[in-house]
Amino acid sequence: MASELIIKELHVAVNGQEILKGVNLTVQPGTVHAIMGPNGSGKSTLAYTIAGHPNYEVTDGEIIYKGENILELEADERSKLGIFLAFQYPVAVPGVTVANFLRAAINAQRAQEGVDPKETAIPMVQFRRELRAAMESLSMDESFARRYLNDGFSGGEKKRLEILQMTMLKPSMAVMDETDSGLDIDALRVVSEGVNRLLNPELGVLVITHYQRLLDYIKPQFVSVMMEGRVVRSGGPELALELEERGYDWIKEELVGDAS
Amino acid sequence: MQANELQNMPTLGLLSSDMIAAQARAANEPEWMVTWRAEAWDFFAQAAPPKWRRTQLAELQQETIAPLFKAQGTAIQWDKALESKGVVFSSLAAALHTHEDLIRPHIGTAVNPLAHKFSAMRAALWQDGVLLYVPRNVEVELPLRLSYTLADGSRAMFPYTIVILEQHARLSLVEEYTSRGIPETALVAPTTELFIGPGAEVRYLTLQQQGQGVYQIGGQVMQLGRDALGKWTSIALGGQLQHMELEARMQGDGSRINWVGATFGNQQQNLVTVPWLRHIGTNTESHLEFKTVVTDKSYSVFDGMIKIEHESHSTVTRLEEHAIHLGSEARSDSIPGLMIDTNDVARAGHASTSGQVDEEQLFYMQARGIRPDEAKRLIVMGFFEPALAAVPLEALRESLEAAIEAKI
Ligand SMILES: Nc1ncnc2c1ncn2[C@@H]1O[C@H](COP(=O)(O)OP(=O)(O)OP(=O)(O)O)[C@@H](O)[C@H]1O
Ligand SMILES: [Mg+2]
Repeated sequence: MASELIIKELHVAVNGQEILKGVNLTVQPGTVHAIMGPNGSGKSTLAYTIAGHPNYEVTDGEIIYKGENILELEADERSKLGIFLAFQYPVAVPGVTVANFLRAAINAQRAQEGVDPKETAIPMVQFRRELRAAMESLSMDESFARRYLNDGFSGGEKKRLEILQMTMLKPSMAVMDETDSGLDIDALRVVSEGVNRLLNPELGVLVITHYQRLLDYIKPQFVSVMMEGRVVRSGGPELALELEERGYDWIKEELVGDAS
Repeated sequence: MQANELQNMPTLGLLSSDMIAAQARAANEPEWMVTWRAEAWDFFAQAAPPKWRRTQLAELQQETIAPLFKAQGTAIQWDKALESKGVVFSSLAAALHTHEDLIRPHIGTAVNPLAHKFSAMRAALWQDGVLLYVPRNVEVELPLRLSYTLADGSRAMFPYTIVILEQHARLSLVEEYTSRGIPETALVAPTTELFIGPGAEVRYLTLQQQGQGVYQIGGQVMQLGRDALGKWTSIALGGQLQHMELEARMQGDGSRINWVGATFGNQQQNLVTVPWLRHIGTNTESHLEFKTVVTDKSYSVFDGMIKIEHESHSTVTRLEEHAIHLGSEARSDSIPGLMIDTNDVARAGHASTSGQVDEEQLFYMQARGIRPDEAKRLIVMGFFEPALAAVPLEALRESLEAAIEAKI
């Protein structure tokens, strides 16, 4: 089965206002694809739309994953298909511990239609072992497991927790929305190494970032630039380096040139 | 409970203070208690029904309420070895004979029996009840458990609890209200008075899990002495109607209350909670965090009040109430009040939210594969976590979680 993520002519509106104006993009399994672009260009909108946020209304276009039109699926169904979104702004849920949340998420992934959830649930001992190992690999203190989900977490702690979830849930298509923002230099390395350990021939990764620094660690094969709701340039890793050096204005100018 | 036994009992409308006094004398109660009951009944007989806002009392008819003149469902669980330390945990009726000296100066001093019709009824008619006494410097490590159960087929119960902690005593108490069978319209009208002495510390968990037809109408007052600390958890899940007047009374200087509440209404329940934070002493501190979840056609009311008395100085108080609506037909009202009779308040804070389950929380969970119904369950359990975390017994916590989950 073709397991690439294919986005075709995607138009998305929020509160009746069109934000994405025809995005085309393909992410092959086993590749890392970076998306860059100025603030407000629609990167997070794209990420939320892939994950299935109900407020993002797809007015036209398609998103195909594993041969399925995922626009018809609820967010939880997309997740069960292997799609994972590392949030730019992770959400706090007071009163729900990280451990309980992760266990509920893992059990949701393991659940099967028509089977008693108790039968498919991860055994407690196995869960604890996997959680401990994953936390250790991301240099997270064990006490994090008992804290409430993102509640009072620092910016960097939240991002680390996103990657902990990715590590535990083992998605086949990960969208990482500015996972580097808020991380200090050491944390950036630890988190990037964590992501790199997860890379495998089945995993497609879409990395949204503003900085080359992250791409020094997590090396993309493809780089696309978004502006005003469209992908306006695509290339190899050298495109990111060029953006780092020159900013976005030259692309804008070229676009204006193209148009006239 | 024998059906004929109930049929022979006079209903409220047919009782008189003479009959009540005669019953008390027959039970060998001291004469002051006989008088206390009779006076309360006289007050009851002439008082107009209270006009409590947003409380649907219309279907509670006094013709259907027939009090039994004997205890029907008081149960206590504790370690008898505590007796050697001077701890008393006994039925109130028995304690009237063994510890009259403790009861007489306390009863009716925190909860005024002549406040309104229901408080008077409770004072006149109590049969179930408990005295819990912890002497000076005695620390009761394990939680003591007290439960009042409305018997199957019974129509009324008036439990009366008196808790006294002497100086520097420590106690953890779980007080439960339940009912057997599926009661028709029945009244459970409890009174609890807690007297927490100087430097003493109490953890008080009170749990209302009445069956469907029960009207629980009661009063609970925790009176805190100098530097005393109260940790109060009020959980209300059951009943057709609840109207509970609660008060943390910070009488002594430096006394503090840390209070969390959790109320969950479903079906047609009308659950009203009237918590007061009353600051009398100086440098007193209160924190109340009250959580409400409503679903189906239930109606929940938080009618709270912060009262800072004239003689109090440097008060710190914070009141938070939050409500989640799981269905569009469920309602909740929050009507917090603030009465300040002093111009010396250190800090008074208030926060309030109400609405559906947070969409972003829901999406975050769904994005991890969790189905919306399971996500809501997790969010609601998390919402109640401050109250659940205060439940001192693991088995009780699990049964409470199951009861909450069953309502979602
Ligand atoms: N929920 C929303 N309500 C209103 N406007 C929105 C909403 N979400 C996105 N927008 C608007 O859509 C545009 C694109 O926003 P988006 O968050 O996708 O940008 P971005 O590329 O991720 O930016 P950044 O680099 O700052 O994270 C912005 O103008 C933003 O204000
Ligand atoms: Mg963004």
